Amino acid sequence: MNRIIAAVVASFLACAPAIADPVAGGRANVVIQPEPPSLMLGLVQNAPTQQIAGNIYEGLLRYDAKLEAMPSLAKSWEVSDDGLTYTFHLEEGVKWHDGAAFSADDVVFTADVFLRQQHPRFRAILEHVASITAPDANTVVFTLKAPFGPFLNAFEVGSMPIVPKHIYEGTDFQNNPANNTPIGTGPFKFGEWQKGSFIKLVKNPDYWDEGKPYLDEIYWHVIPDAASRAVAYETGQVDILPAGSVETFDIPRLAALDNTCMTEAGWEFFAPQSWVWINTRQGPAANKEFRQAIMYALDREFIKDALFNGLGKISNGPFAASTKFNDTDIAPYPYDPAKAKELVKASGYNGEVLKLVPMPYGETWMRLGEVIKQNLEDVGIKVEIVSTDVAGWNQKLSDWDYDLSTTYLFQYGDPALGVSRTYVSTNIAKGSPWNNVEGYANPEVDALFAEGAGTIDPAKRQAVYSEVQKILVDDVPNAWLLDLGMPTIMRCSVKDLITTGIGLNDGFKNAYIEK
Amino acid sequence: MKILTRIVGRLVKAAVVLLAILVLNFLLIHAAPGDPAAVMAGEAGATDEMFLAQLREKFGLDQPLHVQLWKYISDVARLDLGYSYRQQMPVLDLILDRLPATLLLTGTAFAVSLVFGVLAGVLAASRVGKWSDTLISSVALLFYATPLFWAALMGVLLFSVTLGWLPPFGYETVGSGFTGWRRALDIAEHLVLPALSLGLFFTAVYSRMTRASMLEVSQMDFVKTARAKGLSPAVIERRHILRNALLPIVTLAGLQAGQLVGGAVLTETVFAWPGIGRLMFEALTQRDYNVLLGVFFVSAAMVILFNLITDLVYGIVDPRIRVQ
Amino acid sequence: MDFWRRFASNRGGVIGLVLLVIIVAVAATAPLLFPNNPWKMVSRPFLPPFENMKFILGTDTVGRDVAAGLAHGARVSLLVGLVSTVAALLIGIPMGALAGYFGGRVDDALMRITEFFQTVPSFALAIVIVAIFQPSVVSITLAIGIVSWPPVARLVRGEVMSLRKREYVEAAILQGLSAPSIILRQVLPNAISPIIVMASLMVASAILLESSLSFLGLGDPNLMSWGYMIGAARTVIRQAWWLSFFPGVAIVLTVLALNLIGESLNDALNPRLSRRRS
Repeated sequence: MNRIIAAVVASFLACAPAIADPVAGGRANVVIQPEPPSLMLGLVQNAPTQQIAGNIYEGLLRYDAKLEAMPSLAKSWEVSDDGLTYTFHLEEGVKWHDGAAFSADDVVFTADVFLRQQHPRFRAILEHVASITAPDANTVVFTLKAPFGPFLNAFEVGSMPIVPKHIYEGTDFQNNPANNTPIGTGPFKFGEWQKGSFIKLVKNPDYWDEGKPYLDEIYWHVIPDAASRAVAYETGQVDILPAGSVETFDIPRLAALDNTCMTEAGWEFFAPQSWVWINTRQGPAANKEFRQAIMYALDREFIKDALFNGLGKISNGPFAASTKFNDTDIAPYPYDPAKAKELVKASGYNGEVLKLVPMPYGETWMRLGEVIKQNLEDVGIKVEIVSTDVAGWNQKLSDWDYDLSTTYLFQYGDPALGVSRTYVSTNIAKGSPWNNVEGYANPEVDALFAEGAGTIDPAKRQAVYSEVQKILVDDVPNAWLLDLGMPTIMRCSVKDLITTGIGLNDGFKNAYIEK
Repeated sequence: MKILTRIVGRLVKAAVVLLAILVLNFLLIHAAPGDPAAVMAGEAGATDEMFLAQLREKFGLDQPLHVQLWKYISDVARLDLGYSYRQQMPVLDLILDRLPATLLLTGTAFAVSLVFGVLAGVLAASRVGKWSDTLISSVALLFYATPLFWAALMGVLLFSVTLGWLPPFGYETVGSGFTGWRRALDIAEHLVLPALSLGLFFTAVYSRMTRASMLEVSQMDFVKTARAKGLSPAVIERRHILRNALLPIVTLAGLQAGQLVGGAVLTETVFAWPGIGRLMFEALTQRDYNVLLGVFFVSAAMVILFNLITDLVYGIVDPRIRVQ
Repeated sequence: MDFWRRFASNRGGVIGLVLLVIIVAVAATAPLLFPNNPWKMVSRPFLPPFENMKFILGTDTVGRDVAAGLAHGARVSLLVGLVSTVAALLIGIPMGALAGYFGGRVDDALMRITEFFQTVPSFALAIVIVAIFQPSVVSITLAIGIVSWPPVARLVRGEVMSLRKREYVEAAILQGLSAPSIILRQVLPNAISPIIVMASLMVASAILLESSLSFLGLGDPNLMSWGYMIGAARTVIRQAWWLSFFPGVAIVLTVLALNLIGESLNDALNPRLSRRRS
């Protein structure tokens, strides 16, 4: 509970509630990193695309900082008692950016045809769905095959962006020319894209939510160098630095500047958690004691303070703190090199060199790899760093060609959406860096995760998930590091930018700039 | 007529070299771990077999390698450099989009370094052994030994962060709405630091070379004859020494004019300059094969073009070659 | 003796030599001066220089000793510089010697290959090679060697072409000596001085190239190098100027030393030229 209050307070402090009336007009200058490949959110779901296109497209729902559903394109909804039927009542009078009318048919087409074909994460959710129908122009009904606990968490704009049927039906989705000028229902319309330079969105004057948005235009600036992005903020060229756009070493300096506000709010839904992948299939890491030794050897307090500026929280296990059903009774592994040495010895380790492939996502993550190597060598584990670029790293993880690696993954609010995928044995398959890459297989864990997903009652789910957390924490299939803190830095005059647990990704709907 | 045959001969050789470059680079880049589909899937944060297969089919990566190579070569023969997987636009458009920025940067750096380098070299040579020669030579040597990226960083630190005189990065002030001269001025301001950092090294190279070359030529017989004839030192220096001393410099300049296009990677990275050097580096990490190959193709073509121009300029500087 | 007198008469060369001796000495004794692994986190992060005399040049982003990094980095720079130059010589000398000695078709074919490597943007090619074979000291050395041999080949070709016409070579051919033995015994020894001069300058540019690659994040992740230190310090340049300043100075000094030595060698080995210069 404390956690939730803290989050709410934090979000309150960051974007002081609209005491004064929002002011219309003005331009927001935001950094985008890296340049997205496309803004067609139904086809491409990487982080920069979501950040920009979340303002062009809309989902049926949004989620607050406690991950409770909020209306978006759906103004209200009901769930049947057996947990099998979800009925959404849509907002009326909504228009696409090209002027065509939006209706329930668009939703059915999006979910049943478009995303089923194009969106891997949504495709996994569709496994649970028996049918999607539109009884009338403003109602959509999803019928499930069996109860699925987290279903109501699957309707955010990045998971299920509603796309226009009248433009895509019957076309080759990937090569539709409209992909270059995306058309959604959102508060902003696509304006201009100068590749390598900026992306401009303009206000949608016919937006269904009367009076919104307040801003006239948003510029997303493409600046490929982290140090340059920091300078851009200092010199006033940009006003908003989304999390991840500057190196963490720069954050304290930037946050201390005049008229600058920083918040970690707006990431509750995604709850990124970082960990060390441990290839449990082979070598010394196949031994549980050896994996526990790794856990004790990592100085996570130092990692948090020196590399992440004290932002974030030391993970107590596989569930990030803001993810539902995290068991707060579980204490994180302490930093205990002596104990680690004992365990290394007990595991029968005899000097094999482990290959560490750090995630190549910038300086902080490279430093993290170096610190991990040093921590492990301090307890007698030999480590060699293999450096590679993003493509090579993806390939090595997908082919299980590593001993240790680093990563962070989103948890999407619910363990059944974002946690179980890393630990259930049915998810062991080459070809993806995001599944059960470590090769951990435990029938008990499989059964518990299945039970948790198929249960509706929160108390029952908590019991199941607590048990699974205890097993995983003892087995250490991966060495959890931090529930990452994701700081957004902006001028204090930017108001109401982050009002939900999805944060920036659909944030500009309410944002305004105080004059 | 002779000059035409020579040019045609050179062009045929150039085509062979270009073909070799294409094939070698094609094989090299395909030997890299990971492919564009995996990178894009990785960025999406979620993937499955179907998603990867869709992407690979879309990009034509499901074909055997030799089929892909043949298709690529025959496309290039028709001046079609293919399609960027990631940016979703034709490679040629992408390169033409970025090329002006690179040409502006490298062209300025090239011109600046050539002018200052030759001036400094001539000055040093005419005062050989005096303190001004020692100073110029020492500074040139220092520039020569300074890593480009470090000079760039120190420049930003001094002129942008500390003094605030110049914009630290970028091509122009985004969203300023400047047009005409105001815009040109804006771009020029952004150009100063990157062009200077890139030009520093080459200024050093040209000044050292000019000095050495001037000294060498000044000892030659025809110069001695000119002196004996009683021509004024200024005339000798300009007409006899400098003209002949410029030959090796023209050769070097021709070589480097071409190389500058590809060599701007570091400068463009530090200064966020939207040119093809950066495009190439991004394409490499994203395994955007067609873009990478396209950049190599274009910059190699530039090298060849500049070498050809050098040859022609050579004829002007040294009339003997024209006669031959 | 004559050589040394001529070398020593050039002040720059002596300065360069002294500098290089110091750098080599530091590199050689690095494990004694700084017995700790340079990656070890020894103090609090961002300790400014000259505050704590135990870490005289301060510490970096995670508390590693900058001075230790510089000393161990010298080993990497010198090693990569030397080995990649040797690699370039091993490719360039045979190519140039064969082309120059045999002329004709052999020359044509070998020069096409050389042209090819001079047409590809060399730094870009080095980046691609290192990225593809994954950054390691081997791939970096190889990449630098591969992009820097063409000038060697051209130089050797020119020298061999002119030596080939000398009487003693013609005589050796008439005596029926085999081509390899003529090239190795008669021709190359006489072409050695310009090669030595060029090699000393190549070590300098190889060090620059290595630092540029490391700066872009393409260094060997298990070896502390100067380019890596600057690259890693770039993002904190405002909080900690010393992290990019000292390694930068180290690179400049080393490259400067090698260039000074190269110039003096040129003067000492080609007395005809040097007399003209002064």
